[in-house]
Amino acid sequence: MVAAVCASRMSGLLSRALPRVGRPMSSGAHGEEGSARMWKALTYFVALPGVGVSMLNVFLKSRHAEHERPEFVAYPHLRIRTKPFPWGDGNHTLFHNPHVNPLPTGYEDE
Amino acid sequence: MTHQTHAYHMVNPSPWPLTGAFSALLLTSGLVMWFHYNSFTILYIGLLTNMLTMYQWWRDIVREGTYQGHHTPIVQKGLRYGMILFIVSEIFFFAGFFWAFYHSSLVPTHDLGGCWPPTGITPLNPLEVPLLNTSVLLASGVSITWAHHSLMEGKRNSMNQALLITIILGVYFTALQTSEYLETSFSISDGIYGSTFFMATGFHGLHVIIGTSFLTVCLLRQFKFHFTSKHHFGFEAAAWYWHFVDVVWLFLYVSIYWWGS
Repeated sequence: MVAAVCASRMSGLLSRALPRVGRPMSSGAHGEEGSARMWKALTYFVALPGVGVSMLNVFLKSRHAEHERPEFVAYPHLRIRTKPFPWGDGNHTLFHNPHVNPLPTGYEDE
Repeated sequence: MTHQTHAYHMVNPSPWPLTGAFSALLLTSGLVMWFHYNSFTILYIGLLTNMLTMYQWWRDIVREGTYQGHHTPIVQKGLRYGMILFIVSEIFFFAGFFWAFYHSSLVPTHDLGGCWPPTGITPLNPLEVPLLNTSVLLASGVSITWAHHSLMEGKRNSMNQALLITIILGVYFTALQTSEYLETSFSISDGIYGSTFFMATGFHGLHVIIGTSFLTVCLLRQFKFHFTSKHHFGFEAAAWYWHFVDVVWLFLYVSIYWWGS
């Protein structure tokens, strides 16, 4: 799906890159006349709708998703605590979410 | 003679390199004090002096270039080289984290279950928010190009609009990533998976914030008419940095989110 979006964007770019102006540019820093218009069109007709479609996709997927969390297994290779964190009680990660992040001893809200 | 006969910029003596060096010392020793001795004071002073140095140093550069005219074409060329070399150094910085990720994930060790993702890790679905993040950054790459062309063609309203859209997309990305960080079932302490994931995406997120700040400064300068259609290197440097941030994300997405899931 990403590839399809990218491919359509690339082919859009290629087809729009055909030169519209015949005269050469005299100053090196000057952009091709009308290219700002092209990028404006790309922004409003391709890039931002692409974001919109992706937002819709996330929204639709989130409605179907079940929120049951995996059972806690005290694997030794996870929830490593060789040194306490320098904040709080030293046992919670920075973005700790009690609902989905178990402590080394298990979920907090069980 | 009281004027120079060359086009180079002989910079006036400045205290900011010294204050910057001091802030670096305070930041590093401050981190040690925080990690090992539960003290935040030195780190706080370090952050303060660092922010002040950056603000004042870059303010002086804007004064020297825009108001005093020191940024002749040859000086600008040097600034271009500088920005390119800096971005190259950042590429190497990220290369280290990608190396660590591939080292760990291509040959997963026995204690992880001999598989990647490791046993007990539920990775994020690459087709949900990570895909949205990809579209947001790609879109911001398009809008910043629109901003640049508008600037070169002297279209002021267009430029302001396009740069604002770019900044909003950058902020949106940061907000999305923050919410992802709060929702993942795994954390940084979850073995090498957690370490590589959060170090790589975390530093990337920091660079997005830096890039967004740089673009915001450009927007403020644009409001004050600092840029001309021919001379706007500050904006170009911000745009280069922004494209770099976008490309790093694409590598992150393909490697960690997609292949690594």
